[in-house]
Amino acid sequence: MKSPKAPPLMRYDPKLEEAIAGIEECLQSSYGISKRAIALLLLQGDREIEKLVEAKEGKKAADAVRKIVREVRAGGERSPLYRITTARRRLSEYIVSKVVEQSAPKPKTFSDRLSDWLIHPLWGSLFLLALLYFGFYQFVGVFAAGTLVEFLEDTIFGNYIIPPVERFFNWLIPWAWLRDLFVGDYGIFTLGIRYAIALLLPIVTAFFLVFSLVEDSGYFPRLALLIDRLFKGVGLSGKAVIPMVLGFGCDTMATLVTRILETRRERIIATLLLALAVPCSAQLGVMMATVSKVKGGILIWALFVLIVFLLVGFLTAKLFPGEPPRFFIEVVPLRLPRLENVLVKTWTRLQWYLLEVTPLFILASVLIWLGRITHLFDLVIAALSVPVQWIGLPKEIAKVILFGFFRRDYGAAGLLDMVEKGTIDGIDLITTAIILTLFVPCIAQFLMMVREQGWRVALAIFSFILPFAFLCGFTARHLLLWLNQFGLI
Amino acid sequence: MAHQDKQVSVRRSLGVRIWAWWSKMRQKSLEAPPQKRVAIVGSPNVGKSLIFNRLTGIYVTVSNYPGTTVEVFRGRTYIDGVLYEIVDTPGMYSLLPSSEEERVARRLLMEERPDVVVHVVDAKNLERMLPLTLQLIEADFSLVLALNMMDEAKKAGVQIDTELLTNILCVPVVPVVATTGQGIEQLRRVIHEVAQGSPTYAI
Repeated sequence: MKSPKAPPLMRYDPKLEEAIAGIEECLQSSYGISKRAIALLLLQGDREIEKLVEAKEGKKAADAVRKIVREVRAGGERSPLYRITTARRRLSEYIVSKVVEQSAPKPKTFSDRLSDWLIHPLWGSLFLLALLYFGFYQFVGVFAAGTLVEFLEDTIFGNYIIPPVERFFNWLIPWAWLRDLFVGDYGIFTLGIRYAIALLLPIVTAFFLVFSLVEDSGYFPRLALLIDRLFKGVGLSGKAVIPMVLGFGCDTMATLVTRILETRRERIIATLLLALAVPCSAQLGVMMATVSKVKGGILIWALFVLIVFLLVGFLTAKLFPGEPPRFFIEVVPLRLPRLENVLVKTWTRLQWYLLEVTPLFILASVLIWLGRITHLFDLVIAALSVPVQWIGLPKEIAKVILFGFFRRDYGAAGLLDMVEKGTIDGIDLITTAIILTLFVPCIAQFLMMVREQGWRVALAIFSFILPFAFLCGFTARHLLLWLNQFGLI
Repeated sequence: MAHQDKQVSVRRSLGVRIWAWWSKMRQKSLEAPPQKRVAIVGSPNVGKSLIFNRLTGIYVTVSNYPGTTVEVFRGRTYIDGVLYEIVDTPGMYSLLPSSEEERVARRLLMEERPDVVVHVVDAKNLERMLPLTLQLIEADFSLVLALNMMDEAKKAGVQIDTELLTNILCVPVVPVVATTGQGIEQLRRVIHEVAQGSPTYAI
């Protein structure tokens, strides 16, 4: 470890130093860090270290240590934590005064002013809307999901890929039941691969590109500041915006990131909201693209999901009592994103997405194929048709919902497929999109929930979400039908 | 460039797991265990992951956004024929943890006893970052202080006398710009020197 040359840089007040020396004497084992550091952590009231010391040194030594810590606590007018922190800060200030030279503070730069605008309630909100409209709606929804998808789906797949593949399998496999696995209605090529490449890939690429660009600019922490108030209303700290915003990237990842939240209460609420009402980028892109097919659909859909998000967040916050969380976030400087970094990031995400999604879609095709042979498929569809028809949706939607069980975006792709074929009307489309959005997003996220919160909480969340999603669909559809009577939509 | 070890366990989905397994198998057939371990620490959003990327050539998602690394990432690199394991840790403000991610970082430091600890700081906010440096010195780690974002510091009119800082702290100080890779070569050299126990900064 370190050479003994280093002079004792940091000195605390005499009483603390005395206590440190006393504690150091009680410690015999090695800790991976110096005894002095251990003593200081103990004085600051670190429970984890206290337990560690008790385990390593035995009860007697631990009691002796506790006695010293208690005496220091009782002795000074300020807590040891405060005294230690202050001493360190003073020394830091002193060092900085020696080594850092700050030339006269510059007038506010453009970047500073921009930063102020971004967190201003009015200008900030306007910017957010503009970003959503141009960046996400126009680029992802209209360009990627419309133009690009049409090109890939109709021209490339429809003309050049599917026909030869079908011919090939027709030639290769004489039995229709086996051929169905590859090129049937739910075949690996005709459904799985086509959905992944022709429908989802262009949308997801466009979305990741915009997302990475915005992320690298440093906008998200400002967004966090902007919507902090909204979050406080639902019982979450502004810090919770981080997992929420990351959730729009990947919910599985975000469920893991809920660790940065300080209390278990916040973590459970955030996990629930992520599972319920935050569609991940892949799904968000596809959902947006799908609901964009109806005029004003994106607005209705977004509004409805937002209301559900706020309502559930608010009620859960009431249900899990706890102290109101503090706001804390580091505002990073605004930076001009570097193209190279943005591209690498987009590429990594795409790679991850394809690796994640393609095997699952193929698996889904295989499972459905097996299900159709054993007639289990019809049974499941019949079971799903019950809530679907209760809501008032056409029976066909049951299939889309089944796809949604594999992944939300798989279901959305099925929905988009129906739109392209023109077999669904506007209200049904929005209703189904809402149900799919509120669904548990994917198997990976569910497993992450289990890992982070345990089986009990994960299953509780899951069994809440399932009927709740259908209930919301029911409400949404009837609300829309009612509004429709007055010609409002 | 070294061979790469991906122990990325953030998204445990099927595809990623297969990929991780494959990389590991490939790795195993190629490599000896690393000889030295280097941990990268620092408060959130100072560029730890980017420095990790630059040192190892492994891509970890980097954002201009605090709190993105929650788990520990590991990579390997050769410096002067010695195989190093580089560990990227979640952000920490202090050795006294106040959140789960800080706890993860501290546990790693205590249990794995890295041969070298690289403390990455934002050169613009040295004053806020030094308390952790002081704690790491107190804790007896073989420390290297990496002053990151030197370009932004210069723009903000902040000038740092790195030589004097080295003398005060008795810790080698390396100015770097992780986004462009400036200073990374020097950082590698200093890590190597410290790991071999012959740091040239000693007065």
